[in-house]
Parts: sequence; structure tokens; C-alpha cells
Amino acid sequence: MERLTVLCFAGTYALALLSELARVVVRAPARWYLTVGLTVLGWMVQTAYLINLGRASHHLPVTSVFESLLALSWIFAAIGLYLMARAPKPVAVGTFVLPVVVAFTVLAGTSAPRESGWGEAWGGPTVFWGSVHGLFLLAGAVSTCVAFAAGLMYLVQADRLKRKRPNRLGFGLPSLEQSERLNRGAITLAFPLLTFGLLIGVVLSLTARAESGPRVLSWSDPKVVSALLMWLVFAVLLHARYRPALRGRGVVVLTIIAFAFLVFTWVGVEALHLPTAHGHGPGQSAPTRAASPSAFAESAGRAL
Amino acid sequence: VKLLALGVDYRSAPAAVREALAFDGPKHSEALDALTRAFPTPGNEFVVLSTCNRVEIYAAGDLDGVPESEALTNFLAAFHGLSASTFSGHLVSYHDEGVIGHLFRVSASLESLVLGEGQILGQVREAYRTALDRKTTGPILNRVFEHALRVGKKVREDTGMDQGKLSIASVAVDVAREVFDTFADKTVLVIGAGKMGDLTLQHLKALRPGQILIANRNPARAEAAAARWGGKAVPFDRLNLALIEADLVVSTTAADEPVVEYEQYARVQRARKNRLGLILDIAIPRDFDPRIGELEQVMLYNVDDLRAQAEENRKRRQRGVDPALAIIEREATACFTAVRHLRHSGTVLRQLGDTWDTIREREVATCLATCPDLNDAQREAITHMARRLQNQYLHHPRAAIRMAAAEPTLEQPHTLLNAVRHLFGLADG
Repeated sequence: MERLTVLCFAGTYALALLSELARVVVRAPARWYLTVGLTVLGWMVQTAYLINLGRASHHLPVTSVFESLLALSWIFAAIGLYLMARAPKPVAVGTFVLPVVVAFTVLAGTSAPRESGWGEAWGGPTVFWGSVHGLFLLAGAVSTCVAFAAGLMYLVQADRLKRKRPNRLGFGLPSLEQSERLNRGAITLAFPLLTFGLLIGVVLSLTARAESGPRVLSWSDPKVVSALLMWLVFAVLLHARYRPALRGRGVVVLTIIAFAFLVFTWVGVEALHLPTAHGHGPGQSAPTRAASPSAFAESAGRAL
Repeated sequence: VKLLALGVDYRSAPAAVREALAFDGPKHSEALDALTRAFPTPGNEFVVLSTCNRVEIYAAGDLDGVPESEALTNFLAAFHGLSASTFSGHLVSYHDEGVIGHLFRVSASLESLVLGEGQILGQVREAYRTALDRKTTGPILNRVFEHALRVGKKVREDTGMDQGKLSIASVAVDVAREVFDTFADKTVLVIGAGKMGDLTLQHLKALRPGQILIANRNPARAEAAAARWGGKAVPFDRLNLALIEADLVVSTTAADEPVVEYEQYARVQRARKNRLGLILDIAIPRDFDPRIGELEQVMLYNVDDLRAQAEENRKRRQRGVDPALAIIEREATACFTAVRHLRHSGTVLRQLGDTWDTIREREVATCLATCPDLNDAQREAITHMARRLQNQYLHHPRAAIRMAAAEPTLEQPHTLLNAVRHLFGLADG
């Protein structure tokens, strides 16, 4: 089990993605079974990896950016699998889900910091609320990913219908109504989850500031600014849901912007080496990037 | 091995001939029973395929057992009480490997009136099932028809020949399915009450929409159409209200000017709170200003758009023909080889059994004759021992022959079968 690495499941997901993209040339049902089989395999390996991670650290694997990105891709892959199994075989759900899953696992393996100072720096209640903060944001992020994938499906389908082009053979899409409904439902779910998660984060930050001075997490921290902007986009998005004029493409474009903010907040700040004190205890300096590309293939061993 | 297919199809015979030769309803089973009575040679197998576009009899068996085309023609005439001269000129026949290729093309709907249509595979399956029920099939036609059903499915999956509809009305239904997920909560509005509107509505009705509204300048015609389709007639001067309520609009008026202008529908769309809407404008000249299609959340298809999509689907199916034929050629050859293997190995197995039965019985009789004092139990023990010895001795050769029969890629005559014949002194089958 110790030789299990991020590369194992990232590679399996990548193979599943290749098999999914082959749908435009290979129409035999075996291709669909291969895609689903590889995704299931990748998901199972990732499950084992996350269990290992949790056992080694004695907490839910959601406290560092690395862990939460893996958890996010794991949940999103499970949702994708469910949608793939439920939709008719010609419907290309995997084409929209698997790239996101692959991207998140690769980002986790290459750019995400693996350490978090929460547990070591602070006491029990803070760790508990820190985990709740992480879980709510994780659930909100999953909903945002679903909204993003559904939005992309809507855009592609709407564009094809507007241009009066017939369906590409072997590349079906859900109906506009279905994509719109999925997008709308996911946004409605994401907003309160993200709001609650961010609020807990703000309270935690204020508590830490009261205890340890302003070194902890300031309002000008790039992660905080980006998170607030993301929340604002979501607020606009939710408002747009109830404004008929913004229905359709307007909502989808806003969803894509919200998703971009989410990715930037989650992993972009670290990837761009912007100075952030998020996730680090009082007195701790902001960590350097813990994961280099070479660490990608040996993550589990080190984590364990 | 001999295979024969004889019959008529929409290309070789007019509808009247096909109707006269059809095996509808109970006639289908009766025909199979009559065939086995008319051609009772053991090993003969029959399947009858009867659809509105083709009537065919498939026969298989030994070289001297399967009836010739003339005999089957006479059977058809006798069964239907017709003179053979009224239809014999329309009959088409296929022989041996040609039968398999033809059946595979039929199953893959390459021989259908509408290329790629989906019904024929089910009809072939039904014909085969009926023959199975009547016990008129055997190892040859079982293998050929099961293979044909697999090939029909494979061709559809690999070439996409069944994808996309070919008529304007059915393309319209496909477009509606791409826009909407459910229809029970949708309102369909039909403007005008023309023939094309009726045809489209007939297809859309299969989607079970929640409500159907009919708007026509002539209230009587609107009422009549509403009664016909179980909908509600709407006064033409309240068209805007109906447009606001409708999710799917089918417009087929004979008006010279557009019935709905851009600004008018933009207001309607605002009143609809920008809900998804699909407009099928199948009138000529068009009823809806084409710019309406640019509005957010509105999909506007006119008759040319639908026709172009139907034509594209037709071309797509046509493009699938060559790959389909390549699959069929490969599979037909494999199937015919397998059938021949099966037949050859069956003959060799039978000969092997017969030869050794003769030897065993002769030797046991000789042995028993030389020992007249043996009681019945001892005689039975010797006879039983000889039978077990034979079975054990022949077990491996028989298993090897069966394995060879299951391998359809090897050339005929199979070297193993020849070797067995040679080693055991069997006659050529």
C-alpha cells in the first residue's frame, strides 16, 4: 500500500479520459465499459490512498490544500461515475467530468502544499472548526464543479442547436433543460455551503488574530481577497438565477467565472507563490511549495 | 452442407406479390410445420422471415436433403393456393455462403427500404424464435441466425447506421428531445392546422406533452384539430398569450407574411421569463421572423433546417455502408467456415462412433461365443466393460474434434478431421 502514489490514480483517470475522448472514433460499447472501468479503478485506488493518508495523519484528509484537492477530485469522480452510469451510453458526460478530475489530481500532485500547521499550532476547538470550515468549502467546491461541468454541457449543446448542426456521432449531450437544471441546482447548493464555510473561516481568523496579533491572516491576504471575490460572484450568480434576463448563457458564463475563482483560491495562490498565511498556525511562516513535480510520484510514501 | 434462401423483397416484387406470399400471424407457424412435412429428410432446417418488405424461406441441411429452389417455389404456390407462374419471376435465391451474407445484410438493415431502420433486427429475431418454437432449426441455422443477430447489432453500434432520423417530422422530435428533458410539464402550441402540422404533432404526441393548444384563423378548424389531438383551441387574436404559455411551438400556417415578428416575440420571451423555448417553423413562407432564433433561450428551426438535418443523417447512414459491408463480409466468411467445420466434425464424430460400435459389438459377440458357460451377469459385465473401454479410448479424439469444430478460423477441410479419418479408416463424408 505504501507504494501507492498520486500518479497511480491520476494516470488511471488520464487513461479513462483518453478512452472517453476516443468515443468520436470508437463506438463499440466496449469503449464505454473501458472508460467506466478505468474510472472505477482510479477511484478505488484514490480511495485507498485517501484512507492511508487519513490513517497516517489521524484526521480527515481535508486539512491541507493537497489533501482537500484530492478529496475534491475523489468526490467529483464519484459524482461523474454516477452520472456516466445513469446517462445513456452515447451521452458524453465523462468528457466534461474527467478533465476536471485529472486536472485536480495533477494539480494536487504537482503544485499543492502538503503540510498544514493547524493541528500543531492550535488547540482542539480550532482544529474542529477548521475541519468544519474545510468540509463546508469542500462540499461547496464539489457543487461548483458540478455546476461548471453542467454549464459547459449546456454551452456546447446550445451552440450546436443554435447552429442547427446534427449531433456528432457517438457524442451525445444531455438536453438543454437537463444541463440547466443541474447547473441551477448545483449553484443553489454551493452558495450556502461556501458562505457558511467562509464565515467559519472569518471567525477562526478573527479569533486567531485576537489571540496572536495580526500575523495570522489579514484581510489583504491573496487567499482571503480571492475567496471574497468568489463569494461575490456566487452572490451575483444566485441573484442571476432569479433574474430572467440572465437565464441561459449569462448564468453559465458566471458559473465558469466562479469556477475559475474557486480554482485560483484553492490552489492558484500557492501555485503562483503569492504570500499567504492561510492554513498556518501563529508564528509559522508561510510554507514554500512542498511538492515539486518529482514529488508527484512519491507523495504517498512521504505522506505516510 | 447446403444453404438456400428463396423469397421476394420490395426490390424484386410489387406489394401485391409480397402480400400474396406473406406468412402473417398463424400462417407463419403453419408454414414451418408444412415445410418439415413437405421436406422430411432428417437434418433439414427451416426459418421463415416475413415482413412487409420481404418474404423469405431459409433452408439448410445435407447436400441431398435440402429442397431445390423449384421445390420451394412449388411449396409456396401450394401453401398460398397460387399459381407459381404469378410470382416465380419475382423470386430471388441465394446459395451457401451467399445465404449467410444476405441474411447478415438484412439483419444490418442494408437491404431495408429505409437504410439503417431499426425494426428489421427485431423481425429477424422474431422469425428465428418462431422457428425455434416449432423446432424447425438445427445446428446450422441456429449458428447462422445467432451470428446474424450479433452482426446486426455490431454494424449498428460500430457504424452508427441507425443514428439520426430521416423524416422532417421525426427530426423535429429529436430536436425537441435535445432541448427538453421532460414533456409532461410542457405545453405544445400548434399554429395553423395544415397537413404538415398534423404529421409533426402526430410524432410529438408520442412525447406525451402536458397540454396541446391549437391556434388557427379559422375557429372551426382549430376546434376540429383540438378535438382530433385532445388539445384546446385558442382564438387567433390571443396568440401572444398562447405563445407565452407554450414551450414548444409548431407553426404551419399558409400566411404570406410572418405571423410573429421579432419585436413581438422578444416581448413574449420576456413575459415567458426567458424560459427555454423551441419553435418549429415548418411553414413556407416562414411564420416566424428568423431573427427570433438569435434570442437567448430560444431555438428556432425552420423546414430547411430540419430537412438539412434529415439529409445529413441520410448521408451519415450512407457513409456507414462500406464499413458495414466490410464487417459483414468478414463475419459471413467466419460464419460459413464455422458451419462447415460443424458439419464436417459432426459427420466424423458420427462415423467414428458407428465404426467403433460395429467393432465392439462384433468383438463382444465373438468373445461371448467362445465362452458359452458364462451366466447373464458375467455376459453383461463383459459387454459393459467393452463399452466403457470404447468410450475411454474415443474420449480424447472426440474432444479434439469438438475443439476443432469450435475454431472457425482454420481452413477447410481441417487437417485434424482428415487425420482422424485416415487413422481410424473412416470414409470421406
